[in-house]
Amino acid sequence: MIDPAQAGLRESATFDRATIAAIQRAAETGVYDIRGWGAKRAVPHFDDLLLLGASMSRYPLEGYRERCDTDVVLGDRHAGNPLHLDIPITIAGMSFGALSAQAKEALGRGATEVGTSTTTGDGGMTPEERGQSKHLVYQYLPSRYGMNPDDLRAADAIEVVLGQGAKPGGGGMLLGQKISERVAGMRTLPAGIDQRSACRHPDWTGPDDLTIKILELREITDWQKPIYVKVGATRTYYDVKLAVAAGADVVVVDGMQGGTAATQEVFIEHVGIPTLAAIPQAVQALDELGLHRKVQLIVSGGIRTGADVAKAMALGADAVAIGTAALIALGDNHPRYADEYAAIGSAPGFYDDFQDGRDPAGITTQDPELAARLDPVEGGRRVANYLRVLTLEAQTLARACGKAHLRNLEPEDLVALTIEAAAMARVPLAGTSWIPGQGF
Amino acid sequence: MVALNGSSVQELMKVDLASTSVRELNAELHAPTARRYEVHNPRGAEAIAVGLRHAIEVEIHGPAGYYCAGMNMLADVVVHGSVGTGVAENMMSGSVRVRGDASQSAGATGHGGLLVVEGSASMRCGISMKGIDIVVGGDVGPMSAFMAQAGRLVVCGDAGDGLGDSIYEARLYVRGRVGSPGADCVEKEMRDEHVAELGQLLADAGLPHDPGEFRRFGSARRLYHFAAHNSAAY
Amino acid sequence: MCGIVGLHLKNPALEPELGRLFVPMLEAMTSRGPDSAGLATYDAEGMHVIKDVGLPRDICAAHDIAARSGHQAVGHTRMATESAVTSDHAHPFTPLADLALVHNGSFSNHASIRRTLARQGIACTTDNDSEVAARFIARELTEGADLEDAMRSVLKEFDGFFTLLVTSGTQFAVLRDSFACKPAVIAETADYVAMASEYHALAELPGIGDARIVEPEPERVYAWSR
Repeated sequence: MIDPAQAGLRESATFDRATIAAIQRAAETGVYDIRGWGAKRAVPHFDDLLLLGASMSRYPLEGYRERCDTDVVLGDRHAGNPLHLDIPITIAGMSFGALSAQAKEALGRGATEVGTSTTTGDGGMTPEERGQSKHLVYQYLPSRYGMNPDDLRAADAIEVVLGQGAKPGGGGMLLGQKISERVAGMRTLPAGIDQRSACRHPDWTGPDDLTIKILELREITDWQKPIYVKVGATRTYYDVKLAVAAGADVVVVDGMQGGTAATQEVFIEHVGIPTLAAIPQAVQALDELGLHRKVQLIVSGGIRTGADVAKAMALGADAVAIGTAALIALGDNHPRYADEYAAIGSAPGFYDDFQDGRDPAGITTQDPELAARLDPVEGGRRVANYLRVLTLEAQTLARACGKAHLRNLEPEDLVALTIEAAAMARVPLAGTSWIPGQGF
Repeated sequence: MVALNGSSVQELMKVDLASTSVRELNAELHAPTARRYEVHNPRGAEAIAVGLRHAIEVEIHGPAGYYCAGMNMLADVVVHGSVGTGVAENMMSGSVRVRGDASQSAGATGHGGLLVVEGSASMRCGISMKGIDIVVGGDVGPMSAFMAQAGRLVVCGDAGDGLGDSIYEARLYVRGRVGSPGADCVEKEMRDEHVAELGQLLADAGLPHDPGEFRRFGSARRLYHFAAHNSAAY
Repeated sequence: MCGIVGLHLKNPALEPELGRLFVPMLEAMTSRGPDSAGLATYDAEGMHVIKDVGLPRDICAAHDIAARSGHQAVGHTRMATESAVTSDHAHPFTPLADLALVHNGSFSNHASIRRTLARQGIACTTDNDSEVAARFIARELTEGADLEDAMRSVLKEFDGFFTLLVTSGTQFAVLRDSFACKPAVIAETADYVAMASEYHALAELPGIGDARIVEPEPERVYAWSR
């Protein structure tokens, strides 16, 4: 086989090899490509922002010795029992079904160890997860799979899901390979079928009806539980205003880099806006309502490092949520599975076939043998370690900016490296006072 | 709220929503001090008697709004009037009886228990039902039993278009006309066990019809797997 | 995203009571639309429109709506979706001297129809999606269609979710899209036809207990004339 570069062959930028493979796959199967992970295309992101550390005009805090607090209260607008988290980094909703029971338990263990919350998903609450999670957010989804009022009352908060960043406007999918007897039982479905779940809730549409739905949820839980509303980032400015109007205590905004266990490739890559573009829209909406920091904003979609945490918070988030990164902490895409990834046509760093149920790391699977590879205790330790590192990194940056609390980071602590990021994040291009595109 | 006798657990409590808030009513029903409740002047209010989890009886005298008896467990709720969207949504157990008509999404996503609508139910009755039994004395509107997963829906009148679209394993019994069955919903044979279960459901609902007058609909199970030849149905 | 109400009196004896009957209907829809409200009443002199920012109760009081007489009223409480909270953005939209439209839902192709209308010299004055539907219906009426036909044209041209209530000097018409997710209930007695997003807006009307109550079916125009 010749080396195309050596031979001077030219690849089309429009019809590159991935595009050619996609067309040929479509012609072969007649069905669109479904995969996991989130958007893989390059979009402006937190890497395009930098923090302005203190020097003469501002005073830094001493690393390790001088306090930089990290706690956050979520949901104190209307709820009798708001969540008090030790760190502002939470685990996003991922279903039992998409993930193994062991993986769900590990996420709960890890979150609990560092005093933060984890979240159920489109498939109900497992006893393992409830048992190991000090703070558990219960998702309320269009499918209502496994929806049980006792679980609602056992939860620490309720997240009404309108959409997610990987597929705003889309419903759920779980392919037959992952509908084990237990998953099927929890969802009241026949085992082994390709499950499709609805994109709209079955008993309300729009913010006017959501207002009544939130009232019902509050009545059922006697006004004790914080109620979140989660949206995929698209028309974020309007959506946040409407979520607040409908009565949300917390708004969760998931950017297009947010992950999924199974969604059409075309949906993942072509719908939604980057996390970086969504945050300023959300903050503007809350600011205009006089409710920034009163209705809390949780941001997700591509959070990987403490720098991402610090930058998201500087842009105005009260907390962030991680999904894909938490799976990676558990062992997803680890090089030690290189041979097994190769056997299913993938490689470490590329594996995204979460829909397929053959995950060598035992995370996105319902195969008992694969799932048994993940020890929930060890997995929990890894997740806790990772969350600690994110927190320490964010504190390091916040101290450098002179902040005794992460929440005191602000947009003025940021500059942008590119014009695109400056316009989206609404912070000046580094070294200038220019914020392109001002005037929403 | 007026208790009608003096013992610690009363037999009957009357609640007038003209002078008591829905919040006060629901708080009482969540920690009941009586076995039976009469609710007056509901005037279409939303979220009446939601989240019940005790074996109590609640009678609502007049029309109720959205999500009446939502997520009911164990309780028996009767509405002497019409109900708004999502009556008995996600019911787990117990029973809800509506003497009048029900609006959209009656019994949506219900996991168990019995919902009886003596009048008619409008669109999306039994959407995503997961084990609930629903008996409707009159008609049901379009897109009823959409994505119905489990349980039984009995329609003594007519069913609107798109009945049982994308249905899973729920069983549907219709006495009158069916506008059109939805994708993957087909008429099926009424075997003895179906006549028997339908007869029981009609008896439970207190309706006099002969099970022999009904037709059964269910899933053809052709959409259970994503496949190219189904693309027109998606 | 909103609450809508309408009252079409058949019995002339009730006409002095129009405002008194109508105000509780509008106020009942406050939680569906707390931003702003608007209404139109019809009497022998024609259509009278009030739109304002704030709570329905305050708006009705400020304009003494309860004292109004007439044969028909239509009202709207607004929870703004994608356009501003101003009295101009409030419903009803009234592109003709006697035509009023109120809408609950969200159109998904109104920008294209807005451009088509603009090319024909029909300009919208707000960025509200509902105004586009009002001006579209007005165009159809101006070109000779009757109200029912004009509403059926809405079904052909507009995509998205809607419950519409449209009134003219003589007609009262309701239409829902094919999904019919946005709520609507119609009550009819010998004395009146009343329509609302939710039943509790109708709960105070006289004789409501014996009214014929229907939920409009998808894609069917329900119309009454006097």
